[in-house]
Amino acid sequence: MKNTRKYMIFSIGDSIISPLAMTSNGNFEAVMRGESRLQYYEHAFGLPEPCFISLLEDERIDRAFETIYDYSVKDYTKVEKAAILAAHQAIAEANIAADRDDVIFILSTTKGNVDLLESNPYEPERPYLWRSAQLIAEFFGNPNTPIVVSNACISGCAAQIAAANQLRYGGYKYAVVIGAETLSKFVISGFQSFKALSKERCKPFDGSRCGLNLGEAAAAIVYTIDDDHTHIPDNALILRAGAINNDANHISGPSRTGEGLLRAINKVWAGFDKTRPAFDTSRLAFINAHGTATLYNDDMESVSISRANLQHVPVNSLKGYFGHTLGAAGVLETIMAHQAIKNHTIIGTKGTDNPAPASPINVATETTTTDGNAFMKLISGFGGSNAAILMEINRNGETHNSVETVHAPSLQQTKITEKPIISVISQCDITDDSVVLNGQTILTRTGQTDTWLADIYRHIGMAYPKFFKMDNLCKAGTLAAELLLRNLDFDRESVKPDWAVVLMNSASSLDDDRHYQTTIQDADNYYPSPAVFVYTLANIITGEIAIRHKIGGESSFYVLPTFSPEQMEKMVSQCFAANPELTHIICGWADYDEGKCDVKMQLLEKNVGTLCSASQKNEIIKN
Amino acid sequence: MEELILELKKEIIDVLNLEGMTPADIDENAPLFGEGLGLDSIDALELIVLMEKNYGIKLANANEGKEIFKSVRVMAEYIKEHRTK
Repeated sequence: MKNTRKYMIFSIGDSIISPLAMTSNGNFEAVMRGESRLQYYEHAFGLPEPCFISLLEDERIDRAFETIYDYSVKDYTKVEKAAILAAHQAIAEANIAADRDDVIFILSTTKGNVDLLESNPYEPERPYLWRSAQLIAEFFGNPNTPIVVSNACISGCAAQIAAANQLRYGGYKYAVVIGAETLSKFVISGFQSFKALSKERCKPFDGSRCGLNLGEAAAAIVYTIDDDHTHIPDNALILRAGAINNDANHISGPSRTGEGLLRAINKVWAGFDKTRPAFDTSRLAFINAHGTATLYNDDMESVSISRANLQHVPVNSLKGYFGHTLGAAGVLETIMAHQAIKNHTIIGTKGTDNPAPASPINVATETTTTDGNAFMKLISGFGGSNAAILMEINRNGETHNSVETVHAPSLQQTKITEKPIISVISQCDITDDSVVLNGQTILTRTGQTDTWLADIYRHIGMAYPKFFKMDNLCKAGTLAAELLLRNLDFDRESVKPDWAVVLMNSASSLDDDRHYQTTIQDADNYYPSPAVFVYTLANIITGEIAIRHKIGGESSFYVLPTFSPEQMEKMVSQCFAANPELTHIICGWADYDEGKCDVKMQLLEKNVGTLCSASQKNEIIKN
Repeated sequence: MEELILELKKEIIDVLNLEGMTPADIDENAPLFGEGLGLDSIDALELIVLMEKNYGIKLANANEGKEIFKSVRVMAEYIKEHRTK
């Protein structure tokens, strides 16, 4: 093939720090014994309502941390310590020097140090996700700015896909992917306000399931890239394909048709190139589902799986062992699935007796054996986001023999050396004082800052009552997207899988996090607000834009310390390169922090010319 | 009763951020969900908070809410009977 070369992305080290055990293998053995640390707490974190959760013991984390750190264990927060411990083990197993400049750190977390909003003994920027990532990378002496993936519950899988992109297109040789999450009054009260939690052990896919359990954990995988397949160690996990697709349906409710997840499954399964034969289904050992045990998530997954004609494949969920570990889940569950397949095992779904999801699928209730050498990991979350990744184990060298003949999906197959031509169709900047569209100031603030975003809404004649339910970050991003797409002729009626939304910022959702904290701070006035909580996930802005404009391709959210046009360009060109079907991306920086609005968004088009020609573009700028 | 209905309408407009709506725009006998106000599942959860915060009524789950949130009038009747503040 012209301008392409074959290569593989595979893991060379991993680790799980969970309440069950402090290594990947230890966790697998504990799960094989049927263990779980999920338990009932009457008033965990001072919460008025009981909950059923799985907690990392502080003392155990500190004792382990002391063995790798010479100073005070108080220098780091619990989530940072757990993340560092996981990364330390994975890096040691990988036997790499993490201080090299060809190593990139990628942190997957939804809420990081959000508990510091209640009281913060550290520096003021410590609740910022980029700050935790920076401290973790610095611990290992790594010189690169780490990337935080904050894509709600799909973060752990999205981070592995981001790692693959960095290895394929970013020039890095190694990617350390860390998923870490600890629980707090903030997180648990929010899920309680959503009536999403079960007060007993969760029952994924069961007919009597009544909600999820939350859990704490950290997990890490070191991925590397090589075009010499003989370098892949036996039993290594090969990342064959990954896809992220938005439902464009609702910011918190899973799609009833499972459309977004189905698109992601089909994409990793058949590859987007329909001329290639699909991955051989007989090699698939199992599907490790998200299986949160909420009514709607499990129904949606079952619909997607059966619509993809995979209803015969064993499906399991690990939530009954670990709970839903949020930003850690995608990483932790990938490692557990790897451990299982290495041991020819399909882990039974703990807590489930009578599977009865909306569509009949093959739920593995008991632990059984398998000869398969591949698995699919599914995950879905708030913001309408879904991800699927297809993994294969390098069993006794079988894989490198088969790779030439099995034209599996696109992730590891080819390296595109030709850059597509990408044009900026429109650009919109919103600050506290002005709105600039395509270089022209269309509005200058004359009123108060607290009505500024609503003033813009009225000025541009937008008619979308949902706008007023949004937090400031989503309002600002929604306004910018509205302006970017104004006067353009494109399909506004159907969901567009070839459009994506890729945004980043520095404060994640901290502006709304502080607002939510006020609803739980005072014990005498404790009324956690679900409508405020839902916006405490940074990627909801990508979901709002996807819903408004029916965007069904990738939706991703990254957190970085400061705006960097170079980093933005890299991430967006990687997104175009990794998803050849994409024609348009709404991308940019969207930040709202301490009352300050900083939005710089663009609509990009890959050289297909469907939106406008260069001459039309000038007219848009004039408008 | 009519006073409570008016109060409730104002509270709903406020907590659900129904921009530009006035109490007169809400028909107290019309369904709150589905057509009409365009409310969704998050709004239903927020109404559960409203019931507890303003009237001291604790609802265990969203299903219980379904019956009570049929219309503003049904809600007001339920509040009148069960309120603790």
